[in-house]
Amino acid sequence: NSLRQPKPSVWVEVLATVLTTTCPLCFAGLILLFYLILYMFLAGMFSFCIYGLLLTLSPYTPTYRDRVSPPGVMIRPYLHGFTIAFNVSEPSTWTPYVNSMHHFLQAYDDNIQEEKNIECPAGQYFVQDGAESKEKKACQFKRSQLQNCSGIEDPTFGYSTGQPCILLKMNRIIGYRPGYGTPVSVNCAIQKGNESALKSVDFYPGNGTFDLMYYPYYGKLTHVNYTSPLVALHFTDVKKNDFVPIQCRLNGEGIVNNVTNDRFLGRIIFTLSIGM
Amino acid sequence: SPQDQYEMYSVEMEKQGNGDMDVKIKKKKTNKAAKKKEKLESMKKEMDGCLHLTWDTLSICIQGMNSTVAGEILLRDGPNELKPPKGTPEYVKFARQLAGGLQCLMWVAAAICLIAFGIQCGQGDLTSADNLYLAIALIAVVVVTGCFGYYQEFKSTNIIASFKNLVPQQATVIRDGDKFQINANQLVVGDLVEIKGGDRVPADIRIITAQGCKVDNSSLTGESEPQTRAPECTHESPLETRNIAFFSTMCLEGTATGIIVNTGDRTIIGRIASLASGVENEKTPIAIEIEHFVDIIAGLAIFFGGTFFIVAMVIGYPFLKAMVFFMAIVVAYVPEGLLATVTVCLSLTAKRLARKNCVVKNLEAVETLGSTSVICSDKTGTLTQNRMTVSHLWFDNQIHTADTTEDQSGQSFDQSSETWRALCKIVSLCNRAFFKSGQDNVPVPKRIVIGDASETALLKFSEITLGNVMEYRERYKKACEIPFNSTNKFQLSIHELEDPRDPRYLLVMKGAPERILERCATIMIKGQELPLDEQWKEAFQTAYMDLGGLGERVLGFCHLYLDPGQFPRGFAFDTEDMNFPTSGLCFAGLISMIDPPRATVPDAVMKCRTAGIRVIMVTGDHPITAKAIAASVGIISEGSETVEDIAARMRIPVEQVNKREARACVVNGGQLKDMETEELVEILKMHPEMVFARTSPQQKLIIVESCQKLGAIVAVTGDGVNDSPALKKADIGVAMGIAGSDAAKNAADMILLDDNFASIVTGVEQGRLIFDNLKKSIAYTLTKNIPELTPYLIYITVSVPLPLGCITILFIELCTDIFPSVSLAYEKAESDIMHLKPRNPRRDRLVNEALAVYSYFQIGAIQSFAGFTDYFTAMAQEGWFPLLCVGLRAQWENDHLQDLQDSYGQEWTFGQRLYQEYTCYTVFFISIEMCQISDVLIRKTRRLSVFQQGFFRNKILVIAIVFQLCLGCFLCYCPGMPNIFNFMPIRFQWWLVPLPYGILIFVYDEIRKLGVRRHPGSWWDKELYY
Repeated sequence: NSLRQPKPSVWVEVLATVLTTTCPLCFAGLILLFYLILYMFLAGMFSFCIYGLLLTLSPYTPTYRDRVSPPGVMIRPYLHGFTIAFNVSEPSTWTPYVNSMHHFLQAYDDNIQEEKNIECPAGQYFVQDGAESKEKKACQFKRSQLQNCSGIEDPTFGYSTGQPCILLKMNRIIGYRPGYGTPVSVNCAIQKGNESALKSVDFYPGNGTFDLMYYPYYGKLTHVNYTSPLVALHFTDVKKNDFVPIQCRLNGEGIVNNVTNDRFLGRIIFTLSIGM
Repeated sequence: SPQDQYEMYSVEMEKQGNGDMDVKIKKKKTNKAAKKKEKLESMKKEMDGCLHLTWDTLSICIQGMNSTVAGEILLRDGPNELKPPKGTPEYVKFARQLAGGLQCLMWVAAAICLIAFGIQCGQGDLTSADNLYLAIALIAVVVVTGCFGYYQEFKSTNIIASFKNLVPQQATVIRDGDKFQINANQLVVGDLVEIKGGDRVPADIRIITAQGCKVDNSSLTGESEPQTRAPECTHESPLETRNIAFFSTMCLEGTATGIIVNTGDRTIIGRIASLASGVENEKTPIAIEIEHFVDIIAGLAIFFGGTFFIVAMVIGYPFLKAMVFFMAIVVAYVPEGLLATVTVCLSLTAKRLARKNCVVKNLEAVETLGSTSVICSDKTGTLTQNRMTVSHLWFDNQIHTADTTEDQSGQSFDQSSETWRALCKIVSLCNRAFFKSGQDNVPVPKRIVIGDASETALLKFSEITLGNVMEYRERYKKACEIPFNSTNKFQLSIHELEDPRDPRYLLVMKGAPERILERCATIMIKGQELPLDEQWKEAFQTAYMDLGGLGERVLGFCHLYLDPGQFPRGFAFDTEDMNFPTSGLCFAGLISMIDPPRATVPDAVMKCRTAGIRVIMVTGDHPITAKAIAASVGIISEGSETVEDIAARMRIPVEQVNKREARACVVNGGQLKDMETEELVEILKMHPEMVFARTSPQQKLIIVESCQKLGAIVAVTGDGVNDSPALKKADIGVAMGIAGSDAAKNAADMILLDDNFASIVTGVEQGRLIFDNLKKSIAYTLTKNIPELTPYLIYITVSVPLPLGCITILFIELCTDIFPSVSLAYEKAESDIMHLKPRNPRRDRLVNEALAVYSYFQIGAIQSFAGFTDYFTAMAQEGWFPLLCVGLRAQWENDHLQDLQDSYGQEWTFGQRLYQEYTCYTVFFISIEMCQISDVLIRKTRRLSVFQQGFFRNKILVIAIVFQLCLGCFLCYCPGMPNIFNFMPIRFQWWLVPLPYGILIFVYDEIRKLGVRRHPGSWWDKELYY
């Protein structure tokens, strides 16, 4: 009993000393082990923090929506950029735009809308109370509402005649009620230059407004079949063979459409170049 | 042999019948001259410098030179002044500020940035000008810190320049048969000049006539003993011969005329000064350290860049894109703020030193004293007061100690004895020195005296003890006088007594003690004249030996009251015949003098010793004096013996002594001359306490080099021109500001404005402190490099939206973190740094692997995790979940995609995403800042716990942290920031996300320090102590 057991910590120390003094490789191993433990710990702490973060997040509503609102605006067709240039006489120049439109409007086919979505009373917000996790219903937005720009009568959306349709879409923001009770409308004008280059634009549906019944949006998890309402712009008389810069703005309460740093906030600028 | 070396030229003089004098100075070529290759080596050899003299044969009449000829020669030779060493042009000085190790690193980084920018432009990617901004920032940092450093050095140069003596020296010259007073710089070779006591010799002069002329060659040799100057040639070496007086030495007394043989830079002193300019300046230790550090950084940068270049290629980026990544990573490794930090820290210390009267000429030299392991100190004027002072008196068979302190604050001796009164009378009367007039308000020790050093010492001594000596002398009218000469070795004068009724004359005499004793028949003890028997003679011998052994100059004093019958009033004393008694006198006492050490020196030497610094004395003075001073200031410590001491104690021949037993060693210049360099190195290794006596400027250089060969970092202190080569050669030359010559100040890196050796200790302390603190500052600055780099690495490899932007990084580096890193320079020392050994320049690096690894891969890693946690928090709370972020980069950065969906199905325009990205930058920035606050706290100490060091002791650091926080808030919340500098106002809770990591950093470092303290020498200590 005279040999007393050294404490474990002393053993570790002795072992470490023996290892480090006997072989340099063991020393390197020890250092590697040290870093392994350190980084494992750090990774663990990081994971724990992220895990904790995810726990605090709601899957239905973002914590903050200050960066994403007020809404931005986007157009279709969208191929590469915001210059829509084609030659009426050369179908190959406008077919991609037409295809893009058709592809985009598939989800708005009348039968699909009727099947998936419900008809809502127009002119008022479609507020759905109840549990956050409950699946939300979406209102119908039928392709046919776009009339001349629906691609039903004219499958080329006017591109073949030099009167192109362009669809305007407001960015989705969860819980956002655009216009505060008054529907947001759209107007278009020449961005700069000769005003006479743009003589007339037709807006569908209605006078180019986004009906209130499509708002608010409840997020992709519960509002599965939600389809963004659209406003079609039918450029029936635009100067041909020239680049015509057009700016379309949303107008409504709470809409910001004049920030210089973001040219897609509440407005959109694109160029039409229609060759004959 | 030395004899050969001296045979360089001989001086011949012929007296011609018509009274004109011809001085012929012929130069003999010796075979040693031609070796140009070993220029420096040969210059070091004794007196080789003189070989290159081109002294013409001169023929001068006593009318002096013709002034027109003089004018021509002046045009040919230039003015008679030491040309200041080729001043570095200002633009070169500025350029040097831009060309340090770190600066080069930053230039390279800037170039890489520009190339990367070029590549991006070439690819048509005009959106991102980050690389351009970075290049501009890098160049700006180098230029701005360059300007700052230049300004600092410019200021200290100005301080030094203000010390220069601006009064032009005057000289008496005989031209065209008339005497003129002209500016000394107008003198030319061949001019006939007159010098008298108190003058500075205006050029190298061959003496033609002299009356009791004595000069003090201390500015040349460092030896302040007066030397006679006379027309006779006494030695073949021009340095040893009596008939040449040297430029810039002082004429102490007497008069002389002579012909100028050399002017300006061609004088001996000019040659020594130019020897200094031939010596290369050593690189400062801190410069070496910074280069080493740059190597580490460059190595790591290229390693990281290379690794991720390969990774990028494997992931499938195009070659040029991968190349841009490579460059960006390499550049990201450059710590932009470090240069500013180092410069500011060094100049802060320089300022602190300047307040303590050490002016540093070169910023980098601030640290050098801290690394110094050997100080080679000149004796005269550096360790000593450079004025002879009465130190001991022997009368009444007792040695009395006089007060030798500079300000007369010491103890005085018992002055009640009759003998003292008699001695005092002799001292006052038998003295030819006098005060320059108009100095009544000047304290006695500072008054200017005409006379040699011993007489000056005695005059001041009696002025202090007795009162007004000048008036006293007038009361005792001098009847006759015999000045000191080398054959008699005594000086006497005969005075009337003060009391007109007493008709006696008083004969007073002083001189070499043994000669004085020979002339005495009685000795005065307590006012009583006793016969001088064997017993008293022995007592005298003992006292004489004792005082001589202290390295002091001893003089004996005696007097005699002449018999009024034989020598009535008005007796015609004849100094030639000596018609008065010069023996049978009454011995009064001995007085010994020494150039006493400065009061602060012994303490300073002691402090150097405890700090592990060796102090070596290198002087032109005699070995005995040198040894005595060395012993009194502690350079030779108590109980240390030289080989000779041991031999004397054990009564054995010197050869039989085991040299290793002798701690101390005194080597004189003669021995040194015959010594090989290896031998010298061996001696330096063997004896820890060294004194070099009677050394020449070249030998000082050799001693410094030998010390450097031993791996020591050498500081040299000195004031004379003779010290200037060694000052230049040393790792740090320290010159004296008041007594120092311009040559010494030019060669030095540091100047002590108060001439106080003790200031060196302050320098050492500050140097060591700044080294430690720079280490901390650098560690602090390096740490954030990793959290600045990892976002980019993750961005490349995992394709998340960029978490941290380039401009934000620049703000961290150059704005928020500068003040805290500088504030570490105010940190107090962790332990008593003056009790540690000087650092080993090969082992104790400024930035070692442990520091880099610990900062980069441990603390830096924690900070990165903190940043990413905060980044993912900010992204997720705005709608972008971590998993969605992965691989999102291409879409995120597509500026046509105006409706990118987040995790909730919301659609974002590019502009909105950009602001979200800026939010991430800001969040990451804040994370780094929070962690850096923790980092600056842990960097306060390297070994001690922060609790031991005290959190709030360093007020500047606390202010810096507050400042950093305020700056962070300002950047975040100042309106307009998003569009100018990409900072967004962030939510309060995002400030708190990195806090756990900050606490982790603190706790982890405390654990590290605990381990380091508990287990010194363990692998933990080795790996984690920086």
